[in-house]
Amino acid sequence: MKLGIAARITAIFGLGALLLSISMGGLSYFTTRHFLLAERESAAQHQAFANATLVRSSLGSGDTKYADLLASLDAGSGSHSVLIHKSKAYASSLSLNDSSIPSRLRAEVLDGSAATQTYRTGARGQAEIVVGVPIPSVKAAYFEVFDLADLDHTLRVLGLTLFGAGVITTLFGIALGRFASIRSLRPLAGVSRAAVAIAGGQLDTRLDSDSADRDLEGLTTSFNAMVDQLQVRIEREARFNSDVSHELRSPLTTLSASLEVLEAEWDRLPPRARRALQLLGDDLRRFQRMVGDLLEMSRFDAGSMDVFLEEVNVSELVQRAAEAGMRGLHEPARAPEVIIDPEVRSLHVGVDKRRFERVMANLMDNAANYGGGVTVISVQACPGEYGVEIAVEDAGPGIDPLERSKVFDRFYRGSASGRRGTGTGSGLGLSLVAEHVRLMHGRTWVESSPSGGARFVIALPVFLDSENPE
Amino acid sequence: MSGRILVVEDDERIRSSMRLALEGEGYEVKDAGSGEEGLSLFTEAPTDVALIDLMLPGMDGFECCRALRRQSAVPIIIVTARADTHDVVAGLEAGADDYVTKPFVAKELAARIRALLRRARPPEEDPGALTFGNLVLLPEQGVLRQLDGEEVHCTRTEFRLLCELAASPNKVLSREQLLDRVWGYDYFGDGRLVDVHIRRLRTKVEADPAAPQYILTVRGMGYKLVP
Repeated sequence: MKLGIAARITAIFGLGALLLSISMGGLSYFTTRHFLLAERESAAQHQAFANATLVRSSLGSGDTKYADLLASLDAGSGSHSVLIHKSKAYASSLSLNDSSIPSRLRAEVLDGSAATQTYRTGARGQAEIVVGVPIPSVKAAYFEVFDLADLDHTLRVLGLTLFGAGVITTLFGIALGRFASIRSLRPLAGVSRAAVAIAGGQLDTRLDSDSADRDLEGLTTSFNAMVDQLQVRIEREARFNSDVSHELRSPLTTLSASLEVLEAEWDRLPPRARRALQLLGDDLRRFQRMVGDLLEMSRFDAGSMDVFLEEVNVSELVQRAAEAGMRGLHEPARAPEVIIDPEVRSLHVGVDKRRFERVMANLMDNAANYGGGVTVISVQACPGEYGVEIAVEDAGPGIDPLERSKVFDRFYRGSASGRRGTGTGSGLGLSLVAEHVRLMHGRTWVESSPSGGARFVIALPVFLDSENPE
Repeated sequence: MSGRILVVEDDERIRSSMRLALEGEGYEVKDAGSGEEGLSLFTEAPTDVALIDLMLPGMDGFECCRALRRQSAVPIIIVTARADTHDVVAGLEAGADDYVTKPFVAKELAARIRALLRRARPPEEDPGALTFGNLVLLPEQGVLRQLDGEEVHCTRTEFRLLCELAASPNKVLSREQLLDRVWGYDYFGDGRLVDVHIRRLRTKVEADPAAPQYILTVRGMGYKLVP
């Protein structure tokens, strides 16, 4: 898995802070430790030499009350003494004896040179400094053992403090990294928002080039330039569509108005002219429908559709649309059975009625052309996100499950089975159905009817708070 | 049925074919190639209906509508390339009574014209004068005036819409009912016609059109007049 840029920046900051605190903390700890220890050693040596001088003068005067002598040396100094005199060891503390002195140190001192050793004793692991001073004049060796527990404690506290500071520094580094990454990515969030707005159709969205970060000026400029280009293209296309629309509609208007003038003279025309007029009329209307469908589709593409949603009773809507659809059919057909589930009879849906009329007309037209005519139109509750489903069933052979998702594609013509007569459609009828329904916040799909034909379903959301208008 | 129609359309061929088709339906047609020409023709000799294309060179269709509306209550039908744009609402707000989309069917256009020229539906019984606020509606005489006698000018369609609402006071009329009775549309008529006309009517009869007291909207159902 690849980490995101924010996570990576945060990790780098955190790692940096961690390394920094380890090195700084380690350095401080060991420097301090070294310094404190050296100081203690030198103090211990001073004290041991002073005491050794006392021991020498005491032993020199023949005093052999070792216990008193050693006790007097210990008093208030926080150290204990071991005296080896004439090969016998005397200690000021019960816990000390001859073997408490490291043997190497003892050997060295007994050889006649002063020595100091810092070591940790046995199980308790407490640190001690032992200073050994030979006193050759009285054939003795004086050892003084200094307990370093307080120094240990100080160092432990120091260590803990430094560790804590390290943790805090690392956390702070992570936080700083997080902040910095968010900060540095913020302009990108602006770019992303702008891109979303543009994708949503707000083509006049631009990045603010004045307030932009100097380092991101290049991005801002090229982003805005890209959107400028895009907008120009889209507008040019929309203008082209609208121009085409206007240019096509004008001659069609002339043609259809003139055709009607001719049709008004039907009775006075010779049979051959009538036949020609009929062909002309049929194809002109077909052409009109095709141009209308194409222009409508291009408007869907341009996203320039205004919807006028009205809250209407679903049963009345479907009844009326079915009647209008029957009237609009090219050839007369048997009226379909309209079945409305009592459960949904009084429900209201938000639709653009004229769009809905076209949806039903297209579905019924499709059924007439490819499905042997409409058999049943039903309205029933639809489980799930939508409240009501309106289905148009036909008497055809149904649609292969593999082709079902494709029937709403533009210009899709399935396996030509079941088609009859001259095709009157533009190949856009079902795509327009899907687009219209989508615009009314609904969904369209096709399935199998119980009798094996195709069942086109439109699911629409329901107005929940509608009152019964009756 | 006959009547005089002013056709304002810049495309000469469409103009000729419309003249032929409308004359075939029994109307007398005067045509103009621009808004300015149309207005001067109308000023010379007013017609019963005006048909105005929205896309005109020079003075556009909206402006032509407004200018015509300033001087007359004549029914205006706008001709637009598309039904699903704001153009329709803008045209209606400029004073148009109805609209048709190109390419239109002449028979349909004739039906629209007939519906606009129709007299107000004779009520089963003459409701007589209806008073609401400081206004008096006299359906039989086609007059809406204030209590002090000053007449409130409204277009023929606005007046008929008001009469329909007044014929059954306090009763909700659906958009479909109003579309049928005033414009002669079936169930699939354009509800925006009703909405825009109600809006226009309110500016004339309500003290505060934004908070109407007489012509009320009943959400999801329609409109009602509360005298």
